[in-house]
Amino acid sequence: MAVKALYDYDFPSADRAELFGDDQLVYVHWEGNPLFCSAACFRVPKALGFGEFVETVVGPWAASDPDFDPTAVRDWRVNGRPLDGSAEAPLTELGIGHKALLQFTA
Amino acid sequence: MTQTAPRRKLPLKERYALLTRDLDWDPSYVTKEQLFPYTNYEGIKVHDWDGWEDPFRLTVDAYYKYQAEKDKRLYAVLDGFAQSQGHLGLADASYLNAIKLFIQGVTPLEYAAHRHFAYLGRYLEGPAPRFAALCQSVDELRHCQTQIHTISNYNKYYGGFHSWSKMHDRVWYLSVPKSLFDDAMTAGPFEFLISISFSFEYLLTNLLFVPFMSGASFNGDMPTMSFGFSAQSDESRHMTLGLEAIKFLLEQDEGNVPIIQDWIDKWFWRAYRMSALVAGMMDYMLPKPVMSWKEAFELYFEDQMLGGLFPDLEYYGIRPPRHVQDAIAEKDKLSHEVYKVLHNFSFAASFTTQAPNEQHMKWLAEQYPETFDQHYRPVWEKHHRIEAEGGRMFFQGLPQLCQVCQIPMVFTEKDDPAKTSFRSSEFRGEQFHTCSDGCQWIFEREPEKFVQAWLPVHQIYQGNCGGPSVPEVLEWYGIQEGDNGEYKGSPDHKSWIGWHNGDVEQGV
Repeated sequence: MAVKALYDYDFPSADRAELFGDDQLVYVHWEGNPLFCSAACFRVPKALGFGEFVETVVGPWAASDPDFDPTAVRDWRVNGRPLDGSAEAPLTELGIGHKALLQFTA
Repeated sequence: MTQTAPRRKLPLKERYALLTRDLDWDPSYVTKEQLFPYTNYEGIKVHDWDGWEDPFRLTVDAYYKYQAEKDKRLYAVLDGFAQSQGHLGLADASYLNAIKLFIQGVTPLEYAAHRHFAYLGRYLEGPAPRFAALCQSVDELRHCQTQIHTISNYNKYYGGFHSWSKMHDRVWYLSVPKSLFDDAMTAGPFEFLISISFSFEYLLTNLLFVPFMSGASFNGDMPTMSFGFSAQSDESRHMTLGLEAIKFLLEQDEGNVPIIQDWIDKWFWRAYRMSALVAGMMDYMLPKPVMSWKEAFELYFEDQMLGGLFPDLEYYGIRPPRHVQDAIAEKDKLSHEVYKVLHNFSFAASFTTQAPNEQHMKWLAEQYPETFDQHYRPVWEKHHRIEAEGGRMFFQGLPQLCQVCQIPMVFTEKDDPAKTSFRSSEFRGEQFHTCSDGCQWIFEREPEKFVQAWLPVHQIYQGNCGGPSVPEVLEWYGIQEGDNGEYKGSPDHKSWIGWHNGDVEQGV
């Protein structure tokens, strides 16, 4: 259903991919850890390798939990589908697009 | 001098008719459509504007006289409070975190309501609803002012009360109430009436307002309790307006029924989601809790609204709001999930938070026997352990937000308190995330509107909030060092102890 208005109602999205240039937003959710109230949102380069992303972006955030063990991180999923591919591959090649939801357990 | 005979006093009904409806006229220089351009495009049909019944028959002179008396009483209480150092008689300084949330989150909504009712007072076609909207517009402005005056007493002694108006426009948790009102104000006049007058004022005001006011009285905050009383009689007038508006529109044309049902479905969920902040406040922020969120929800919503109001509305073909069962299903979880956000992120808030202590957890376990000990106590115990080791867990980053309610995505599936609820929709090739079936349904109903949402987290990442680092964003928010973070050891906490021990003189 369209918005009812007195004029042509057409406006761009406030967070469309082009506003972030070579970067994009991704969400990361540590499943089953209620110490974190919700998933986190990060702005990262699209070309960032997945392994580096986990080490430099996810790691420091997850370490707010003193029991965090980086070696225990596993079961990565993107938008609900299991993540498959090399740790060297850039995010976009692994199907991790703008505003994708990543989930892991640890 | 000759004395003239006193003029005949008109009966109330006649006076009211002369002073309101009789002041209306038919336009002759412009067409009716030019004079009232906004009352057709939403699809609502009104055949007889005079069918509007005003249950109060208030006139301007009576209205001002009555309001002035109430103001006089309130300001007497405020004077007494200021002169007798009343702020030292609170249950605890941590109580004021609830009042910080109130002035930042609720008071600006009073002002927004004042603005929009003034617009309705101009643009509704019937003189009676125009006049009712005018009175409500003035009420809302009065509420805004009395709240500012009342709460300004605390600003002299405690942090977090300054800059609330700027904060309302900028700070992440305040985008929850702000975006709700922005959504309503950018809708047409009839949708606004159903959203604010009915779904907000009628369905949920008691649930939103009474806990704050009873919380105030339980925790020694007489001024807040007094402005609550002073507003209460206006609120009951507003509730009646909301009910009159919906009945009037339903009676005018059968074609209005599905449009209004759709608005009730949307606005119940919007207003309910915003009330989650009140749930967190009630269960976790009051040193002396009044009643649990669950108990208040059962009393003010399930009994009074679902049990009392909706059976009456069935006559018009209106059913209870879509997704109402989802709200009922989460009454054991809501406050715990939402307070977790405030506790995780109070480094970026203009109030402080603390983990509940043993005694408070005992109360929570009594109120929530089904969920607290199993799901929430272990997490708070972990916070206690971290604090015992000298730490304080904050979320080192920014949260994912719901595209519609703008609350961080903390809510869980109705049948599993351990499983976060994620919903996702695609629109024009872009992915949008929502926290629940209710918010997803609202998004998919009007995606063109909600793609424009000003989500604070994404705005920070676009560089629109003062800079990329936390201190820069806090400065842009107007949050000063000590307004935020952990309550224990905060400036408010230290002053409170100092004043009560006599170590620190006030105002020094």
